[in-house]
Amino acid sequence: MLGKGGKRKFDEHEDGLEGKIVSPSDGPSKVSYTLQRQTIFNISLMKLYNHRPLTEPSLQKTVLINNMLRRIQEELKQEGSLRPAFPASSPPADPLGSSYREAPPAFSHPAPAPCELGGAAPLEACLTPASLLEDDQDTFCTSPAAQPAAPARLAPPALPPEKDSFSSALDEIEELCPTSTSTEAAEATTDDPKGDSGGPGAHRPEGLQDGRPDDPKLMDSLPGNFEITTSTGFLTDLTLDDILFADIDTSMYDFDPCTSASGTSSKMSPVSADDLLKTLAPYSSQPVAPSQPFKMDLTELDHIMEVLVGS
Amino acid sequence: MVLQPSERHYGDWNHGRLGPWCSPTGSPAPLSCETGCGEGSWILVCRLLFPTQVSLLSMEEDIDTRKINNSFLRDHSYATEADIISTVEFNHTGELLATGDKGGRVVIFQREQESKNQVHRRGEYNVYSTFQSHEPEFDYLKSLEIEEKINKIRWLPQQNAAYFLLSTNDKTVKLWKVSERDKRPEGYNLKDEEGRLRDPATITTLRVPVLRPMDLMVEATPRRVFANAHTYHINSISVNSDYETYMSADDLRINLWNFEITNQSFNIVDIKPANMEELTEVITAAEFHPHHCNTFVYSSSKGTIRLCDMRASALCDRHTKFFEEPEDPSNRSFFSEIISSISDVKFSHSGRYIMTRDYLTVKVWDLNMENRPIETYQVHDYLRSKLCSLYENDCIFDKFECVWNGSDSVIMTGSYNNFFRMFDRNTKRDVTLEASRENSKPRAILKPRKVCVGGKRRKDEISVDSLDFSKKILHTAWHPSENIIAVAATNNLYIFQDKVN
Repeated sequence: MLGKGGKRKFDEHEDGLEGKIVSPSDGPSKVSYTLQRQTIFNISLMKLYNHRPLTEPSLQKTVLINNMLRRIQEELKQEGSLRPAFPASSPPADPLGSSYREAPPAFSHPAPAPCELGGAAPLEACLTPASLLEDDQDTFCTSPAAQPAAPARLAPPALPPEKDSFSSALDEIEELCPTSTSTEAAEATTDDPKGDSGGPGAHRPEGLQDGRPDDPKLMDSLPGNFEITTSTGFLTDLTLDDILFADIDTSMYDFDPCTSASGTSSKMSPVSADDLLKTLAPYSSQPVAPSQPFKMDLTELDHIMEVLVGS
Repeated sequence: MVLQPSERHYGDWNHGRLGPWCSPTGSPAPLSCETGCGEGSWILVCRLLFPTQVSLLSMEEDIDTRKINNSFLRDHSYATEADIISTVEFNHTGELLATGDKGGRVVIFQREQESKNQVHRRGEYNVYSTFQSHEPEFDYLKSLEIEEKINKIRWLPQQNAAYFLLSTNDKTVKLWKVSERDKRPEGYNLKDEEGRLRDPATITTLRVPVLRPMDLMVEATPRRVFANAHTYHINSISVNSDYETYMSADDLRINLWNFEITNQSFNIVDIKPANMEELTEVITAAEFHPHHCNTFVYSSSKGTIRLCDMRASALCDRHTKFFEEPEDPSNRSFFSEIISSISDVKFSHSGRYIMTRDYLTVKVWDLNMENRPIETYQVHDYLRSKLCSLYENDCIFDKFECVWNGSDSVIMTGSYNNFFRMFDRNTKRDVTLEASRENSKPRAILKPRKVCVGGKRRKDEISVDSLDFSKKILHTAWHPSENIIAVAATNNLYIFQDKVN
């Protein structure tokens, strides 16, 4: 009933995946920490998007799951921004973090976040995660204390050009859907000027002091970033098909609760546009408009952009 | 649907009579219960099995339309889910015990009166009244169903011969009057005994109608309906000590009502942010102070409690006191916030303390100390290492309630596997008991249970992995003055009494 399959034989390993939630500073548990975080991340996404309740979903549950997703996003963002090994090291997380907090929690896809910060680097890393694991050990164990300030001052020459093309792509997307992308586009544009200055370094301790004393240790857990990219990318692929090849769902205007709005397509994909509409409807103060599916489109396009930029 | 006779017997009593639940006079041979004293030795008084909706419907006329409507709106098992008990509450004297279920019904039990010849029958509860409080509704604007599940029942103090209670589902609060009728008028001039009009030409004499005794009938009538005031789901109602007002709390707002006025309510707390995307915290429970009619508390999903004084301002968004315990850094995990979400808050009878229940602990706070609770009790700390699985199967979102005993010396709350726990605040002893059919013979003393957390499992212990997480005790109630407790386990209601010599 508990856990994921596998008969447990030894008491000390009986929790398996969940295990001891240790600080990610010790070596082998680094991977298990990120693995656990990724699992929780995926579970949270599935919870938000998977089911189609006949009654309104519990607001408390939705808020708690959203908070969990946000927290993981912020962790990932800070990890992504604290990677000095890669030329495309990110601008400080704090302005992004604050604006990310305001981004639609249930609806903005977290996949763009770490990738957009790292630019080309995580995409290359996707290809060889194992080798980079070894790299991480050398690079990050040296000066954990100095790291909060160091990455902020690194000015990757490769970053701005890529960011520009990416941000311009984002601007195009923003025209399609201003409400959801304005925050992300603002992040992209504000990143460039701040990436080179030492100013963001001051922001870094602020962001880190945000109630998480073990943040410097989180930087070591890089592999999780790559795993997140690939795994959530998988999720987004499914929704992309659903969006591209399915009609815009008009279930909101159909008052018959018995009929399944999008037929079989909603069952096949864990996330679908009409699920979003249902999730949006009870709690959004904005009227449900046909442009809502574009919110999912945006994240799918982000993913496509990353793949294109990487290759 | 035909129910097996064994499913419909009245607890474990084998009297063979399948009386309908709504008849208050049907009472099978009761359990004899010993009365003794001593905390820690509890005996089962009676176990009451909630019948299915179908059996109740057979008493009423529009059975077909109701069945069709319900199955239209719900695709889960129609027969049994409606009987899951969703709230339990004693009234202020303890004479009545009200339960609400997922099917929108309220069943009220009454304590057996003490009589000289059958003194051992004291302490049992029989069905007093049953009525359908809420019906499922459909919100056409959002294309969503509004559940008829009774979230909370609160009794009003008795002021005359009738009993009044508030019952609420997600959206609507109703005030019900439960009254007895044991006399009826007979001898009308214009009507005959069956109520048919008499032909005036046949009336030759006049008579005065007289009241004659009749079989006791208990009738429940809705006196007020307080609707359309909550956008979000109502989680709490609380009657004020002035007995004129009450409050209803949903996820983001708390409204103050006057019992006499149904088309208006005052909003006293509103934590809805201007941009719903910034929402990170919701209200989870609220209660009025038992003596001070201007004071109330509400708890949040972030593990905080706010005490508000209505004299300070009309909108009590700024709290008077703020109770929060700093997080223990050694216990930090991904789920720290979720398990800190408070599922229930209760004032002590004295009004000096508040008790809060979060996922793993029960905490007692002194109203005069805001920075930490004065007592913390671990309910099922062995679940701390299972939080990921419990998050996956949604058990981590279960909302357990907690109750004080009459003297505020013992607190009780539920757990999984039909376990419930009691903590004695004075002796610091605690006990785990189980409310289950298999393990409770009539008059048997409940055996304390133990969960083993690792290593060798002793006999009679249960390992954490064999706990049944579908059997959860969320709702319990304690008699206001005696050691009688009511424990709701899915669709069974257990009543236990402590053993007195």
